[in-house]
Amino acid sequence: MPSSADSASANDKVSVPFPAMNFNYDVIVVGAGHAGSEAALVSARMGAKTALVTIPESHIAAMPCNPSVGGIAKSHLVFELDALGGEIGRNADYTGVQFRVLNTSRGPAVQANRVQCDKKAYSRRMQAIIHDTKNLTLIRDEIVGLSIRKDRITGVRTKSGNELISKCVVLTPGTFVRGRIHVGDWSEPGGGNHTPSADPIGADLEKLGFRMARLKTGTPPRIKKDSIDYSKMERQDGIVPAPFFSWEVRKHAGMFHMEHSDGDQSQKDALFHVEQCISDKSPWIPGSDQMPCYLTRTTERTHAVVHDNLKRSSLYGGFITGTGVRYCPSFEDKVVKFPDKTSHHVFIEPEGRETDLVYPNGISNSLPRDVQADLVHSIPGMETAEIVEWAYAIEYDFVDPTELKASLESKRIEGLFFGGQINGTTGYEEAAALGFMAGVNAAFNAAGKPDLIFDRGEAYIGVMIDDLVTRGVKEPYRMFTSRAERRLILRQDNARYRMFEHARTIGVVDPEMIKQTERYEIEIDDEIARLHKVREGGVPLRNILAGPLKKYSDMPSHVVLDKEVIEQIEIRIKYDGYIQQELREARRVRAMDHVIIPDDLDYWVLNGLKHESKEVLSKIRPQNIGQASRISGIRPSDIALLHVHIEQRRRMKEGTR
Amino acid sequence: MGTMYKDTIAAIATAPGNAGIAIIRVSGPDALHIADVVFRHRKIVPSTLPGGRFIHGTVVSPGTQTDLDEVILLVYRDGHSYTREDTVEFQCHGGRISARRVLNAVVDAGARLADPGEFTKRAFLNGRIDLVQAEAVMDIIQAQSDRMANLAVEQLEGRLSNEISNLYDDCLALSADFEAMLDFEVDELPESIRDGVEIKLQFIGDRLQELEATWNEGRLLREGARVVIAGRPNVGKSTLLNTLLGVPRAIVTPTPGTTRDIIEETLVLDGVPIRLYDTAGLRETGCEVEKIGVDRARNVIDRADLILWVMDGSQPVDQEELKLIKSHAGHCLVILNKSDLGTGIQEKDLNVPSIRTSLTQGTGLDALKTAITETLGVSHLDTLHAAISERHHKLLSIALKEIQTAIRTGTSSESHVIVAQHIATCAGLIGQIIGRNYSDNLLDAVFSRFCIGK
Repeated sequence: MPSSADSASANDKVSVPFPAMNFNYDVIVVGAGHAGSEAALVSARMGAKTALVTIPESHIAAMPCNPSVGGIAKSHLVFELDALGGEIGRNADYTGVQFRVLNTSRGPAVQANRVQCDKKAYSRRMQAIIHDTKNLTLIRDEIVGLSIRKDRITGVRTKSGNELISKCVVLTPGTFVRGRIHVGDWSEPGGGNHTPSADPIGADLEKLGFRMARLKTGTPPRIKKDSIDYSKMERQDGIVPAPFFSWEVRKHAGMFHMEHSDGDQSQKDALFHVEQCISDKSPWIPGSDQMPCYLTRTTERTHAVVHDNLKRSSLYGGFITGTGVRYCPSFEDKVVKFPDKTSHHVFIEPEGRETDLVYPNGISNSLPRDVQADLVHSIPGMETAEIVEWAYAIEYDFVDPTELKASLESKRIEGLFFGGQINGTTGYEEAAALGFMAGVNAAFNAAGKPDLIFDRGEAYIGVMIDDLVTRGVKEPYRMFTSRAERRLILRQDNARYRMFEHARTIGVVDPEMIKQTERYEIEIDDEIARLHKVREGGVPLRNILAGPLKKYSDMPSHVVLDKEVIEQIEIRIKYDGYIQQELREARRVRAMDHVIIPDDLDYWVLNGLKHESKEVLSKIRPQNIGQASRISGIRPSDIALLHVHIEQRRRMKEGTR
Repeated sequence: MGTMYKDTIAAIATAPGNAGIAIIRVSGPDALHIADVVFRHRKIVPSTLPGGRFIHGTVVSPGTQTDLDEVILLVYRDGHSYTREDTVEFQCHGGRISARRVLNAVVDAGARLADPGEFTKRAFLNGRIDLVQAEAVMDIIQAQSDRMANLAVEQLEGRLSNEISNLYDDCLALSADFEAMLDFEVDELPESIRDGVEIKLQFIGDRLQELEATWNEGRLLREGARVVIAGRPNVGKSTLLNTLLGVPRAIVTPTPGTTRDIIEETLVLDGVPIRLYDTAGLRETGCEVEKIGVDRARNVIDRADLILWVMDGSQPVDQEELKLIKSHAGHCLVILNKSDLGTGIQEKDLNVPSIRTSLTQGTGLDALKTAITETLGVSHLDTLHAAISERHHKLLSIALKEIQTAIRTGTSSESHVIVAQHIATCAGLIGQIIGRNYSDNLLDAVFSRFCIGK
């Protein structure tokens, strides 16, 4: 693991106010949003001496948009992160106020958890975790520039005049790089959440030659909780017992239920001291006392308000140039692009227990304040709603992710990693996953160890990163299950098995979880083998279980196993044919990912490649043959030529025939 | 040796044309397993053979187990093949039909069609070919893919290209429906999204099937339909050839057995190019020359797209001959000639399509010509429409299989992901034909169809 210049002192846990001297770090993480928090935590937990630089501490893991974690495909990312030792799953579980499972009828591959979080508790818990993490120093400052020597990062320069020296830097500035807030025809620089934008970094990146472009996103107004008439809305409750993302909380919850029925109070207290001790890290018993959401709909008047004032919207008035998110459309977009739809859902979602604000999901917009007020008041139940914070659109810079290797290290500057929204993504989960992987690889890089890269056949994280670095983005990138070719093997229920070896490589998950996964895997295999062998009326039990609607408990003979093990047995048997086929496909593709393209390959001298292919390959510079084959417009014959050329080169180098 | 590739590839290794044999080469880790699936021998299972051996047997269709062709199977092992991978070669009868059938069987059994120059590429990467030859390898890849591209462009003009584009768009739209149902919550989607999903699937399946069928027609147009005139001696076969050609090409005499060798001529009938073969009358004969002629006739008959079986309609039916005719049912048209001499055979005795003619009198000719084009299935054809390459055909037929699997799987919500996967694969395959990228297009299709996202 990375050695630190001076041994980690007790000082590490304390925020350093304007240090007068330079510190040495293995990894400096710039920005403490969802990407930065994960990057800093994993890097520090891996043993790298890590600094996390952010301006106001209250912005750690802030949720400037919808305070929810998970959802279809995003939930998969959270499960994978939890299996690898990320924080997002635990953080959501401990601070969740409503828990749901989506897509339950569509089979296990696309099933997803979604948690509505208390946004203040969420941020506070992450702050507490960061404070308590060894090897991690929180620095309150602003970064104004990168220090670079011979195409290698050497640290960062801060506004307070310091130069922090480090082996690696992870940039996770979110939407802050040259961010600009728009409300109607009014606009001003800002990074969202009432904080100034980070412009010098943007200029610095541009100077270094990074390809950059602008994206746009937005958020709805916030409404005072008590100013809504909920009787006109449909109530939606979470599910009990709460479904959790994290192994840690699931473990406690399992014991809780067991103990509960046992009724032995003393033992329960002993086991549940964590939950029972109210702290920032565990503000309440996870999953307890859930809050409802409410559903209402826009009316024809709502649509008329938008139509009549379209020219005054930032988006339609021509004030915004960035590309927006199609799957999180602003309300103006919904009205203009789908004129046949005369009503849209609006979900009133809690922002937390302490706050008196709610989040009206579905009416993000960039209209002037007076129009926003009319819009809100035209919705049933919100006739007299009080708007506390106004909706806004935000434009920001992102760095073309094809500038990055699959490790998220930039191709231009060694040791400089990018994570989160700067890579062109949207969503806390996507940001967390990118931040985590950037943190892992920065820590490995600082320690002189090889990159950790997941392929498309083993993780949604792998699919996302490969999409980003191979195909780039034209609009903010969000995870969808349809982006994964092999959905039947990339399920959330098997994330811990898929991620097992990688979790061991990173080495930050609870050893107890590792042991349990190993034990479960054996139990699953043994039981499936038994079901193959044991017959009922001449038919192997495995075949009976494979039938529609059959459950493990229907089997004439069964073993006492954990619920999670039984679930795995059922899924693996029911989808066996498809799972095997996808595993074969994944292996086939993987072989191509292992043919490495030399960094210095000159595509222009390669005979036979089409001009356009040379151009795009020179721009993206794929790291291996598999990645090259996934670039849009590259033909199989290009790949064949490339492959032969690489082999020719290799043999010439080796001097063999 | 040669373990770097996980998949097994196949292609027709011989040049197209009328060679005596065609070779289908299969290379990769599953080559022998595939041979086990498609090859039948009384005793021997291919995978038990050592390298460097060959056996004679039959290729069967992996699905229906029907015989496809008689072949010689060659087995290469332990790095002794061209690619240095496990390889099997099937030597089958010449001509495209036979070779294609074997190739189809091999692909159905799990091989994939080789990319341009892929065998040579593997040979190089597996160390079989010298470094000096690397440039030549790249030239081969380059040349083959250029030729394929040119072919594809030529073949995809006009209506066919439009039709495949439309099919792709429909398939993409259906895929978008399914993907939207997976990636978004039900309450975000219009209720109508589930309407008619089965019908849409069926519709795409039907059109794929039609397109696949046009491939056969397309081949007839490109290469000419092989129409063979057959029958007993002295029933008017050569007269039929001369009549269809409009010129006295074959010698016609009242002596049975006049035609000894095969006469091949081309003509265009209703816009359909036809390669017409006149053959020696089928009979047991002591004459050595005539015997060879009869053998050749049988050979050509076996490979015909259409057999014009000429009979003397004034004579009673010969049961032996009738058996022979029925063995070719489906692509056999019986011509009851010499109608001017009276009626012996009744149509109802035959149970195969027939036309009554008197070639010497010139009656029944128009009906005959119409029947020929109709039986070939090309009568309604517009020539631009139906020409697709073997590769495109393969893509279409795999796409068709995907859709058929989707239909069979059913559209219950439990199997939703699986059906979605099949439709996505299908759309991807059709997209490949017209150079559209499914992963580039899918989300556009989703977001142009639905107002989703909060």
